[in-house]
Amino acid sequence: HQHKHTYTTNIKADTIIHSMSYLQVQRSLQNTNGATALPIHNTESNGINSNKHTISVNYDKSTDEQTLSDDNNNHIIDHGVTQNPYERGFSPYEFNGGTVLAISGKDYAVVAADTRLSSGYEILSRNVTKLHQLTNTTVLASAGCKTDVDQLRSVLDIRMQMYEHDNRKNMSTPSVAQMLGNTLYYKRFFPYYAFNVLGGVDHEGKGAVYSYDAIGSFERTPFSAAGSGQSFLIPLMDNVISHKNRCDEENRVDLQSDEVVEIVKDAFVTAGERDIYTGDAVQIMVITKDGVTEHVYRLKAD
Amino acid sequence: MSILEYNGGAMIAMAGKDCVGIASDTRLGIQAMTVACDFQKTFQINSNTFVGLAGLASDVQTVSEVLKFRHDLYELREGRKMTPRVFSNVLSNLLYEKRFGPYFVEPIVAGLDAKTGKPFLSGMDLIGAPVFTDDYVVSGTCTANLHGMCETLYRPDMEVEELFETLAQALLAGVDRDALSGWGGVVHIITKDGVISRELKGRQD
Repeated sequence: HQHKHTYTTNIKADTIIHSMSYLQVQRSLQNTNGATALPIHNTESNGINSNKHTISVNYDKSTDEQTLSDDNNNHIIDHGVTQNPYERGFSPYEFNGGTVLAISGKDYAVVAADTRLSSGYEILSRNVTKLHQLTNTTVLASAGCKTDVDQLRSVLDIRMQMYEHDNRKNMSTPSVAQMLGNTLYYKRFFPYYAFNVLGGVDHEGKGAVYSYDAIGSFERTPFSAAGSGQSFLIPLMDNVISHKNRCDEENRVDLQSDEVVEIVKDAFVTAGERDIYTGDAVQIMVITKDGVTEHVYRLKAD
Repeated sequence: MSILEYNGGAMIAMAGKDCVGIASDTRLGIQAMTVACDFQKTFQINSNTFVGLAGLASDVQTVSEVLKFRHDLYELREGRKMTPRVFSNVLSNLLYEKRFGPYFVEPIVAGLDAKTGKPFLSGMDLIGAPVFTDDYVVSGTCTANLHGMCETLYRPDMEVEELFETLAQALLAGVDRDALSGWGGVVHIITKDGVISRELKGRQD
């Protein structure tokens, strides 16, 4: 009879197989469940060993602690995943990075955010906005999980439309602030992964900034920052905007909006340097009672 | 809670024009409770080198004593001053000797090279991996706050008084947003003419 291939395998001493097709060899090897290596061509076969076309690997079963076996006493390699309990991880939340900042002034508010969207160590986009203009006098900035942020914005837009329909007036900034707090609290037991900062001018024309946590606790503050770079920015704002730990009170004047924009640019350069999730560009909106103006500045793209 | 956050602390070292400064807070706490507000974390090694140790208080004191010992023995044997770069290496080796049972400190070294007058800065992790910078280094429980302040306020070639102001503002603003640091501060500026040390008046909370 003709034999196409001859493989000698070292499975057990009494099962040396000759004259099998490739498929038959595969099947017989699979029956060993990994107890030996698949046939590897030995290119260095010399005259003596020329009929040995495989390199055998010995699988020493005696040193294995937990050997499982099927009925044919073929040992199964488990890797700890079929017999022992193990936890499968799934988290509904993901952090998409970024930093947002808002500062209030006498008759204006400045809201800024970087434009990078990331996931883990990867950058998904360099040009995604974190700012959302709700009314002519209010802008919402949110960092966190983008899908939760987008959904939150949709919900807010709808609730605002309902308010405008019911009350025949535009929502003022303190009302928007309260509504956002309530909306977040509706999802108290499966929160929106959104860290919000709201900036705008109130009904008297003064600048207003509100800071939030993920479940709707909020407070009106002179300034606020949220996201991955918040720790870099908040102490800086304490020092420069609120003049904390400073002895030069006599030199203190109210800052103009263009000065604050310069401070915000510096702040984002700093955050972009030291925070990996912040960079690419910063989008700055200046809100006054007359409306909203926008500037975009490039940051380092690393 | 991490062991490095058990006692709390904050430290900055910054380079100026032919001068270098090191600043630290002076709080000693046991987790949330403050136990002392005059705890020394910056140690003068010789006339032109300071080391700042942030981390577990027990290791802060032990490492500073072992370090002083090794430095003094070097000066005795060699008959010359230890340069800041060599000192940083000695500290790095000391920490790596304890690679698998480390000292829980994250030190920073600030010095002025005696011959060239150039500032020297280095920071290390708890097993001695050094980083050498020419602007500033920070360490402690509020490094993010301090990085934000220093990165914004730092300019190259600051004179002594400017460097003092920058260090003081950066430290105070940084520790005021950290519960485990603060309760006073101290700043040392090293120049070729000597060391100027000042205490900071900050929030006592």
